[in-house]
Amino acid sequence: MKKKLLLFSILLVFSVILAACGGDDDSGEEGTSDNSGDNGESTSDNGGESSAEQVFKANIASEPFSLNPSLANDATSSAVLLQTFEGLTRIGPEGEPQEAMASEIETSDDLKKYTFTIREDAKWSNGDPVTAQDFEYAWKWALDPNNNSQYAYQLYYVKNAEAANTGEGNLEDVGVTAVDEQTLEVELENPTPYFLELTAFYTYFPVNSKIAKENEEWYADAGENYVSNGPFKMTEWSHNDSITLEPNEEYWDKDAVKLDRIEFAMINDFNTELNSFKQGEFDWAGSPFGSLPTEAIPSLKEDGSLNVEPIAGTYWYKFHTEKEPFNNVNIRKAFAYAIDRQGIVENITKAGQVPAMAAVPPTMFSDNEEGYFDAVNIEKAKEHLQKGIEELGYDSVEDMPAVTLSYNTSESHAKIAQAIQDMWKENLGVEVELSNAEWAVYIDQLHQGDYQIGRMGWLGDFNDPINFLELYKEKGGNNDTRWHSEEFASLLEESQTETDSEKRTEMLKEAEGILMDEMPIAPIYFYTNAWVQDENLKDVVMSGLGDVQLKWAHFE
Amino acid sequence: MLKYIGKRLLYMVLTLWVIVTVTFFLMRAAPGSPFSGEKELPPAIQANLEAYYGLDKSLFMQYVDYLISVVKWDFGPSLKYKGQSVNDLISEGFPVSFALGMEAIFLALALGVLLGAVAALRHNKWQDYTAMIIAVLGISVPSFIMASGLQYVLAIKWSVLPVARWESFAHTILPALALASTPMAFIARLTRSSMLEVIGNDYIKTAKSKGLNSTEITVRHTIRNAMMPVVSYMGPLISAILTGSFVIEKIFGIPGLGMHFVTSITNRDYSVIMGVTVFFSVLLLVSILLVDIAYSLIDPRIKLADKKGE
Amino acid sequence: MENILEVNDLKVSFNTFAGEVQAVRGVNFHVKKGETLAIVGESGSGKSVTTQSIMRLIPMPPGEIKGGEILFEGTDLVKKSDKQMEKVRGKDIAMIFQDPMTSLNPTMKIGRQIMESMIKHRKIAKTDAKKRAIELLDLVGIPKPEQRVDQYPHEFSGGMRQRAMIAVALASDPKLLIADEPTTALDVTIQAQILELLKDIQKKTNTSIIFITHDLGVVANVADRVAVMYGGKIVETGSVDEVFYNPQHPYTWGLLASMPSLDAEEGELQAIPGSPPDLTNPPKGDAFAARNSYAMKVDFEMEPPMFKVSDTHYAATWLLHEDAPKVEPPAVVRKRIEHFKEKAGER
Ligand SMILES: Nc1ncnc2c1ncn2[C@@H]1O[C@H](COP(=O)(O)OP(=O)(O)O)[C@@H](O)[C@H]1O
Ligand SMILES: [Mg+2]
Repeated sequence: MKKKLLLFSILLVFSVILAACGGDDDSGEEGTSDNSGDNGESTSDNGGESSAEQVFKANIASEPFSLNPSLANDATSSAVLLQTFEGLTRIGPEGEPQEAMASEIETSDDLKKYTFTIREDAKWSNGDPVTAQDFEYAWKWALDPNNNSQYAYQLYYVKNAEAANTGEGNLEDVGVTAVDEQTLEVELENPTPYFLELTAFYTYFPVNSKIAKENEEWYADAGENYVSNGPFKMTEWSHNDSITLEPNEEYWDKDAVKLDRIEFAMINDFNTELNSFKQGEFDWAGSPFGSLPTEAIPSLKEDGSLNVEPIAGTYWYKFHTEKEPFNNVNIRKAFAYAIDRQGIVENITKAGQVPAMAAVPPTMFSDNEEGYFDAVNIEKAKEHLQKGIEELGYDSVEDMPAVTLSYNTSESHAKIAQAIQDMWKENLGVEVELSNAEWAVYIDQLHQGDYQIGRMGWLGDFNDPINFLELYKEKGGNNDTRWHSEEFASLLEESQTETDSEKRTEMLKEAEGILMDEMPIAPIYFYTNAWVQDENLKDVVMSGLGDVQLKWAHFE
Repeated sequence: MLKYIGKRLLYMVLTLWVIVTVTFFLMRAAPGSPFSGEKELPPAIQANLEAYYGLDKSLFMQYVDYLISVVKWDFGPSLKYKGQSVNDLISEGFPVSFALGMEAIFLALALGVLLGAVAALRHNKWQDYTAMIIAVLGISVPSFIMASGLQYVLAIKWSVLPVARWESFAHTILPALALASTPMAFIARLTRSSMLEVIGNDYIKTAKSKGLNSTEITVRHTIRNAMMPVVSYMGPLISAILTGSFVIEKIFGIPGLGMHFVTSITNRDYSVIMGVTVFFSVLLLVSILLVDIAYSLIDPRIKLADKKGE
Repeated sequence: MENILEVNDLKVSFNTFAGEVQAVRGVNFHVKKGETLAIVGESGSGKSVTTQSIMRLIPMPPGEIKGGEILFEGTDLVKKSDKQMEKVRGKDIAMIFQDPMTSLNPTMKIGRQIMESMIKHRKIAKTDAKKRAIELLDLVGIPKPEQRVDQYPHEFSGGMRQRAMIAVALASDPKLLIADEPTTALDVTIQAQILELLKDIQKKTNTSIIFITHDLGVVANVADRVAVMYGGKIVETGSVDEVFYNPQHPYTWGLLASMPSLDAEEGELQAIPGSPPDLTNPPKGDAFAARNSYAMKVDFEMEPPMFKVSDTHYAATWLLHEDAPKVEPPAVVRKRIEHFKEKAGER
């Protein structure tokens, strides 16, 4: 009898828990019940009805790192923040920075001082005015080392920002000052010709200082504390599941906003993303919100639904220039020239990527589609190899130290590495070993110089070639190659003070020429955004950097 | 009985301590840091971050701190997701995983026992062969392929169920089925062989000699005895469902706890790795204890404790 | 006295991969009301198949009743459907199996196992059924039946379980009780107790009993009549006295000679040499011929009919043919017969 009672009570406990969870489920269902209705209707959108509901649905794959613009450091957060926040400038439909929160921008002659006038009708989603103080607060907050912002270095262009962030200087000395509610003065460390590109970047976004001071964790959830100043506001954030945005009625340019709602899901599986798109549950599948499964790309290309747009990103191999044999420029060149880039983009990556024979993507330097060398040149590669071997004093290729190619574990990196391994074997007669490690481990190896050839990619933070070139300005930091050229560095230095944009471009091109002649990196291809979308979706603005703004988006 | 459970609880605490210790040191021995990114952080920020999360203390002190926090059941902030605590992640994710897991366990048991019983009762007839083909498929097809297959057929081809997400009951069916498929197949085979063995037993002949019809025999005599191996499979079943949920939650975009288990490791999100490991371990240990208790209730021959304890 | 059961020319086979096993090859016998018939024979001679055929417990397939009839109170059980048989099993005919360790359901309380057939056949209320179960446990000699009724089989010893099994069988007052080697798995002292119990019960309830054993030794105590089985056939049948004091078939002699002695002083125990016939391919003449030292040529060629020894005593051996030479049972057997007579006289 006792036993029965015990069994019964165990069952009871189980069923109570189950019922409780079931209850949760039900309430969740109610909360999103209008949702399922939309699903049905947006499916019919796909069928071509034009009085469409203005609801945009896409997958952002994972939980954003942080929706506080001062803390964000990833593409996922960016995809949301670009819709909910607005900086002093915004990249317009033509790809140029436009006035946004700032209605007027004055630049000093030496390009070192900017004075922004904040728009009078600039308001936070709770009705508070957006003030110059909000900017000052946000930037200094990000620079405050106690706040651990991992992207604070994006603000280093501002005077004394780096010193303050590394603890060597004072926050008070940082060159950002709210003169009054409407006026923001920014002093820069150096002339920065592309500063207005930067002010459109999320680390430069303002934060409602009134709320943030009162509530440190204001950005943890949607709710009355989470206020933003962009075209949309966040109305729901179900962690690891979904984010819902709705138009911000307080937005100064709210008439331009057409969408009634944006729903971001977080499904970390790209096949599921594409399947959901095909079922009409998403209006977009692929970059930059999510991603397309590589296997699916050929068939999407075939049925004509695939969209491909080049973006500012380069996939390259880094050489460790202080280790034999890659301390020799001819060996580096031999390895770089022996790669058949066309073969890789056609047979492996397949999403319209462009062979890269330069470091800076063509979205910034349009003639870089041609680049500095041939997409593959076996003859030249062999010549350089021979020369390199002689210079290093080896008898033959066999005499060379063993070479290992490292990459972080992923199917696509592995495929590319295997193909290149074959090319090097066939074209140069060099046997290269492959080694892969999980990202966190791999990045440490690279930073510590524990590699010979390592895969890496760079996606532009802002739309200027300097963003790609300055990676190799100093040893260390991001420059795992340990390569250094005085000439290269001084050219970059000089380009900062050059006010004539044509001349400046020339200087940067010259610097890139040096980089490609010394070849501490072997570029492989330029990235693209590849996606499929609802045919009726219009006016989604994709910048050269590849990010997307939905401010003007609508369904026809 | 109570004495026995007390003893078991003591062992659980010991086991948990071992798990916490091993996980903690293994995790910290792994190369890579939670803050490593493409761009190296300025050393000041790196140091700040480490100080903030207590990573600057000696490893042993961190371990001691961690043990204290486990006792307090407060796993600290996530290193990866700003402003979220591990306790938040668990309390948000677990109800979802639990509902999914329960549905899968229910399906695995109900369908598995049904399939196995039919196969045994129709031994060497077409029903038996069909059931066993299904079982072999269920065991040999990995759950992520099963998931994609179900998704393709039921959601894409026939559009009868949603592709992914966790919104209504309809959304739960495919993931629960995919998650249940392997254990279900296993239970079906277990039930079948166990039923066949039981059917051959003398007491079934006794039951028949009493004039009971086949339904009465199956329900009163066969099933219960045939369930013994199935009940003892409950422990492994629960852990199979737990581990299986990692993949399934990813494929169906379900905001459960499973995916944290995997992503926290790639992110080196120490507090989440530990929190989730401790949580899953406790869950598993408790379920195994419950299963053992249930087992002793179903099988009168099994005694949980020595006679004195009863 | 009228026959409660009459088995006529029963033939049962099993279809196996090796071929058709003719386990029972034309068996005839009857059981009268209130009497005990013992069926005796070596292991594999077809005793269980015969009696399980009566209950229709033979798994089909592979089993098959090839012919004959089983008349229970005049109706042929062979012709009954499975559904109809459910009304006979447990209610009219009940069965006790050899191994009490395995023939009770380990996860069901003893009481419920006893009550089950009462509730099914007698349609009585649960509480009454339980009362009756306690009475039955008491009847089969289980102490403290009120407590025992709620216990599980594993809480019972082997002998206790067989008693409980008997209680299960008796639950709905069957007219015929088949006990298939009920004591074989038990040790000697317990064996005797169970036999006493069966005798006792028969006295009290007047149930007919078919008692199966491979051990002639226990037969004398319990049975009224004996049927000796060999190779799927009955080779000799008669009253206990007739079979024990005047055995006719050489196989019966063999059984008597190989009987484990009940008294310690007796020596010379002889197992029957050779092994039982292959029933997939039964021999032509007398199935026992190959092991029979008295076998004649005819034994290998023609099957012997049942020769009448008395009105109640028959045996299927050519030795009873008028042309056959007169042979005496071997000396050991004669000695044993003398011994039986002495013992009977003592009683
Ligand atoms: N299910 C079965 N399949 C095949 N042969 C069987 C089966 N059951 C019994 N037999 C055969 O029938 C013969 C008689 O068996 P049985 O009646 O059990 O002998 P016993 O006299 O020892 O009770 C044996 O030769 C046995 O092998
Ligand atoms: Mg037998």
